[in-house]
Amino acid sequence: MAYFRITLLRSAIGLPRRTNGVLQALGLRRRMQTVYHPVSRDIAGFILHVKELLDVQEVEEKLSKSELHELRKPQPGYWVEKRTSER
Amino acid sequence: MFGPFRPTFSLFGGLLWKRPWRMSRPQKYRLRQRLRRVDSIVATVDAALSKKGLTTRSLERWKAEMPTEEEMRPKDKYTMFDRKVKGYRKGVHKLPKWTRISQRLNPPGY
Repeated sequence: MAYFRITLLRSAIGLPRRTNGVLQALGLRRRMQTVYHPVSRDIAGFILHVKELLDVQEVEEKLSKSELHELRKPQPGYWVEKRTSER
Repeated sequence: MFGPFRPTFSLFGGLLWKRPWRMSRPQKYRLRQRLRRVDSIVATVDAALSKKGLTTRSLERWKAEMPTEEEMRPKDKYTMFDRKVKGYRKGVHKLPKWTRISQRLNPPGY
């Protein structure tokens, strides 16, 4: 199933109240927050209403919050070759 | 020229708080990037909807009416119509919230 991956890049502070309402309808509360919505006409309408504030990609899979967090994690700087318990 | 009584704008008129009348080169560059970003979002939404055989009125209207960044003339990118200004054009950076709204069309003939 296709989803829109929507990230809020610019805040809607100072913009008309309807803009904030659209962001609320999309479930976007803060900058750099990512939400997934199925591809549909009404979601497309929301996106087009606030397109200057968003980053939008079409993706096949919906990632959970923890999976997104794993993706965003930096490299640890080390890797485990062998654990002591395996010796 | 120097000293406490030097003739500067802020000493003559008090508060000096004005935007330059034209945009700098990096400002124009970032404006073009933002225009392209909006174009790409519209294209993404269009592609995603057309895969499902859907479309919306707002999308069709945008595609029919709005020029893309490549199609826009430099005059329309960086300036906008204003009836109060000599020459009927002012820099687009004078528009409130100009980095977060789309200003692409101007009245024909101006």
